[in-house]
Amino acid sequence: MFDQPSNLAPQVETPVTTDHKITAENVNVHYGDTHAIKDVNVKIDDKTVTAFIGPSGCGKSTFLRCLNRMNDTIDICRVSGLIELDGEDINHAKVDPVQLRAKVGMVFQKPNPFPKSIFDNVAYGPRIHGQAANKAELDEIVEKSLRSAALWKEVKDRLHAPGTGLSGGQQQRLCIARAVATAPEVLLMDEPCSALDPIATAQVEELIDELRENFSVVIVTHSMQQAARVSQKTAFFHLGELVEFGETGQIFTNPHDSRTESYITGRIG
Amino acid sequence: MSLYLESPRTKKRNAAERRFQSYGLAAIAAALFFLVVLLGQIIGNGSGAFIQTRLTVPVTLDAAAIEKAEGSMMKTSGYRKLIVASLSAEMQAKGIEAELDSKAAKALLSSGAPNTLRQHVLANPADIGSTVTLKLAGSSRLDGYMKGRVTRESISDDKAITPAHLDLADELIGVGLLSKGFNWGFVTGNDASDLRPEQSGMGQSVLGSLAMMLVVLAVCLPISVAASIYLEEFAPKNKLTQFIEVNISNLAAVPSIVFGILALAAFIQFGGGTIGIEAFRASAPLVGGLALSLMTLPTIIIATRAALKAVPQSMRDAALGVGASKMQAVFHHVLPLAMPGIMTGTIIGLAAALGETAPLLLIGMVAFVQTDISGATSFFTDPNVGMPAQIYIWATRADGAWYERAWGGIILLLIFLACMNIVAILLRRKFERRW
Repeated sequence: MFDQPSNLAPQVETPVTTDHKITAENVNVHYGDTHAIKDVNVKIDDKTVTAFIGPSGCGKSTFLRCLNRMNDTIDICRVSGLIELDGEDINHAKVDPVQLRAKVGMVFQKPNPFPKSIFDNVAYGPRIHGQAANKAELDEIVEKSLRSAALWKEVKDRLHAPGTGLSGGQQQRLCIARAVATAPEVLLMDEPCSALDPIATAQVEELIDELRENFSVVIVTHSMQQAARVSQKTAFFHLGELVEFGETGQIFTNPHDSRTESYITGRIG
Repeated sequence: MSLYLESPRTKKRNAAERRFQSYGLAAIAAALFFLVVLLGQIIGNGSGAFIQTRLTVPVTLDAAAIEKAEGSMMKTSGYRKLIVASLSAEMQAKGIEAELDSKAAKALLSSGAPNTLRQHVLANPADIGSTVTLKLAGSSRLDGYMKGRVTRESISDDKAITPAHLDLADELIGVGLLSKGFNWGFVTGNDASDLRPEQSGMGQSVLGSLAMMLVVLAVCLPISVAASIYLEEFAPKNKLTQFIEVNISNLAAVPSIVFGILALAAFIQFGGGTIGIEAFRASAPLVGGLALSLMTLPTIIIATRAALKAVPQSMRDAALGVGASKMQAVFHHVLPLAMPGIMTGTIIGLAAALGETAPLLLIGMVAFVQTDISGATSFFTDPNVGMPAQIYIWATRADGAWYERAWGGIILLLIFLACMNIVAILLRRKFERRW
């Protein structure tokens, strides 16, 4: 069907940099009998926004969930291959997924604030990780996180109001604040704007751009415009394979693989 | 076709809808009708148990007579004489000519009245030598006459009371010596022997049921919440857990009498007999509570698992995503959200346990309990009955007065249940997060 074996493509296209935050080699994921991810190789840079794009069911979310071992919670899911964070194998027997997830935060597709106050939502992570020595420090972390999620101005007078009472866009920014409160090194975002209106989406995108200064951000998105707007690197997934990975500008203007071209021009997906 | 006209298809569809709604209305109306009949019957038949006929008797406590009575074998018979003498004197003073012979006294006064007097004297020795006015219970026949259950026609074959006695009762009413009042004894008292329904009360069995409910709560809530959390959140989904799940559902459908005989074998015969655990003895509320716990556990486990299942996966993901451990995710987020559902399941289980009689029959909690329970340990281990068992005992007795008491017991049982529900609703309110 295609003239070159697709799993070789990413290795060829990945630019050589020394600043890799996450390295994935030959990652395979099986859901029961379904082979969901096939031999994915990818290198994610620090302080960069990496976008995963591809049609529905292509495995981009599944792969994202491998990066903080959220797939552990699914019984029938098996992950094989090597995923390294700063050179350490995250699937190593000695690694506690809890510690990993403190380093690799996640924002989900649907805003899912806890049914608690805004303050408690943001403070939950630092509390369970013991990151604040006292109330003043905790207050500071909460304020900093809400500021970095561009939510502080809107909620500073009602920190003890329920988080679920916010609008959809505010809730998603609250979830981002919650995720950055534990000071992660990587932030995974699984279609964070799919439930938001264009204004809230613009706010979150702006936010992602700011977060890049401190974190490595990996974002799964259905919107190619969004990938083009916010990311520096883009990976295109198709039927469980990583078809193409490279600089965002190159992927969108000069894709090397015909499937990538078909997708970004709207012929598949 | 005009929009103003119903097409034949629409007509049919609307008719079907109207028909369905009328079925629903009919079902609700029938349910309401039965509820009204049920409540009407219970209140109509049972309210009499809360009213007691009493004779007002100014008893002269003659020191010599009391000393003599206390010295004899049948202590109460001396007291009986005191009452009869005092009542006779009072009747004469009030101008009643009829004589109060011993047969009439027996027909009108409760056989428990002498003991009431004796208990008063023992509690207030200072009263000896003076005259105290006591309200003494009338006999069950007299009580029935006052409530309209006993009439001159209905006693034609009765050896215990004659129409002449009823005439005397009318005269006593006329001079104010005979009256009806609220029967606290029914709420606080113990069971009484076959011949003294007027002296019986539900109080003892209320304590028995309370003790059992506390045992059921203490046993079931922690076990079933722990089991549900493990099965729902931690257990691997394999053949073994599936087998356990199926069997929990099956257990919920096992007849309660099976749990009764299991409790008899496991707790009383094995635990109390073979191993020799002192507290595991027949008729003890502790054992009754454990038997009811066996029955209640599956119900609460099923409800708790449903409540845990209803918590959206996104809550778990959110907690795990910020680095909470599985246990933190469950205890900080899932369990609080499931709490109202767990409370509902628990109260349904407890209500079923409260009304259960069959297991109690098998472990001997149909005991005739005459003595009061005093200490805290004996509260759980002294022989007692449960409310439904007490009602069952009374319903098997012949006298019409017992029938009335059984209905009255049902009123108390329903009040007890209502109290339990109110507590559960208050707790649920407390746990419920409206956001």
